[in-house]
Amino acid sequence: MREEEAAGEPDYIPGSAEDFERLYRCSYRRILVTLIGMLGDPAAAEDCTQEAFVRAFRAWDRWKPGAPAEAWLHRIAINVGVSHWRRQRLREAGELVKRLGRPAAPASPATIAENTELGRALRKIPAKQAAALVLRHYHGYTNREIGEALGVPERTVASRLAAAKARLRVELADWVE
Amino acid sequence: MSDFDREIESELSRVLGPVDRASIPAWRAPASGGVMKRLFGGAGAALGAKLLTGFAVAALAAAGAGVAGEVAVTGSLNPNDWGQQVVQQVNTCKDTLRASGVRGIGQCVSAFAKQHGKVVSGEHRNSNARTNDHGNNGNGNDNKNKGNNGNHGKPSGTPGKP
Repeated sequence: MREEEAAGEPDYIPGSAEDFERLYRCSYRRILVTLIGMLGDPAAAEDCTQEAFVRAFRAWDRWKPGAPAEAWLHRIAINVGVSHWRRQRLREAGELVKRLGRPAAPASPATIAENTELGRALRKIPAKQAAALVLRHYHGYTNREIGEALGVPERTVASRLAAAKARLRVELADWVE
Repeated sequence: MSDFDREIESELSRVLGPVDRASIPAWRAPASGGVMKRLFGGAGAALGAKLLTGFAVAALAAAGAGVAGEVAVTGSLNPNDWGQQVVQQVNTCKDTLRASGVRGIGQCVSAFAKQHGKVVSGEHRNSNARTNDHGNNGNGNDNKNKGNNGNHGKPSGTPGKP
């Protein structure tokens, strides 16, 4: 259970710099975790987290207090993460084409450390599915909350989760057995 | 919840748990405004203000230099007043000298005119002299033009006098 949930959603005033800093302190780690789960790359996730907070800050005076602030932040962060994920895929495809016929470059020790079975598997599934999985199975959001955060119907969340798990079952077949 | 779901949750906690305890970098609010505001804001704005102030002061100084001398002598911005001032000075000189029994107002009027000539001459040197040499470059006319500077009202040599 999240601390904020136990204490109730804190009151924030849209446009207040002090309140935004409070929201930042309360939500930074959770947004970072979601993005690491989505992207599988802590450095890229940190960059995307910062970018997400910058975008959120610029839109902070338009935030409606009726909506949970962290869900609103997650929506922005996941959009940033998806954009990054797409760019990364394009870059990887370009590098693959360049590398054809040559031996692959060795992975850095940092990359190897990050490469858990689950991390590798999460990177192979679409970013939106990975985000739904982390929000559901790590942060403990309900499908409805995820739908509100992402601006999609609840049944879309359910189908994304089902697709993500089906793909993970394939990717993690050896690990599960 | 299925076993697979539990395994995913357990693995996510193992992998992402340490991140959840990571330190939070300090929040630094980004500068508000667009590209133009960023370019012309802050130090850019300060520099721009200084440049504008500099130009304004220079323009005022140039404009002011022209009229200051005239005002100092005649007390008026209107050049026509200079003529009236001379007439008045002549009358004043006449009255003063007549009362004291001295004849000839030349010295009296000359002193007044000399003062005006010095002011106008200085003004030319400071401002117009740099741009007033059209057609005089190297043609030897400089001395002719300068010859009259500072000599307003000074009794000139009698025309045709040897």
